[in-house]
Amino acid sequence: MGLFDAIDASASGLTAERMRMDVVSENLANAQTTRGVDGQPYRRKTVVLQEADTSQNGFAAALGNAMGRRANGVQVVGIAEDAAPGRRVYDPGHPDADGNGYVTMPNVNSVTEMVDLITASRAYEANVTAMQTAKNMFTKTLDILR
Amino acid sequence: MDLFDTTQIGLERALSGAALRQEAIATNLANVNTPGYRRQDVNFADALQRAFSVGSRSMVEEVAPAVAVDSTAPIRADGSTVDVDKEAATQAENGLQYQALSAVIKSRTAILRSAMGVG
Repeated sequence: MGLFDAIDASASGLTAERMRMDVVSENLANAQTTRGVDGQPYRRKTVVLQEADTSQNGFAAALGNAMGRRANGVQVVGIAEDAAPGRRVYDPGHPDADGNGYVTMPNVNSVTEMVDLITASRAYEANVTAMQTAKNMFTKTLDILR
Repeated sequence: MDLFDTTQIGLERALSGAALRQEAIATNLANVNTPGYRRQDVNFADALQRAFSVGSRSMVEEVAPAVAVDSTAPIRADGSTVDVDKEAATQAENGLQYQALSAVIKSRTAILRSAMGVG
């Protein structure tokens, strides 16, 4: 219990939003990649977020439970691939063009990615503000006995 | 006669309630992009007000702020009930409330100190 839990929750939010930003950057960087690691066109990746829960294993969770603190905040449970089909572009000169001259481009839409980037950035700022508020509150508490 | 009166106990309860509320808000903001997440909040003001209107010290001492899931908030398209603007406003309000409470506690403690001849 206490303000440190609030800071922990905000920190988990910062980690999650930073991860979203990383994934958006990767998607944007690979928006024209026709050869992914599996030889197929690149597939858009998305971060799967979940509310942090105490049932998970690990030292931090066990210690938190023992101290009567519940784990709070958010956690990244995985990075999923978007299964939507890629754009088909007519470009017979492209080395990856099929028999009909069409190239399958990644299913990345830069507008969607930009929107995701702004959302992640704003959410990051919100978490920073929450962390600062908690810090100010904690400083005020220490000030009581001064 | 106790060193701390009912008001001081009530102030301390309100302070820990505000601290817990900040934790709930931080958790809500961390989960702003989690689909299906339900926002949490802490409501201790009603219980504290009831205790103070009765004027019973034991009732004030029994006020225990706790985190609860807010089921009244409107649900977004992705199933989450977090509204960032609302959380930010609540956070600002709660932070100011916390500062006011700690200022009052501080000056009340200063009075006690000077009464004890150490301030």
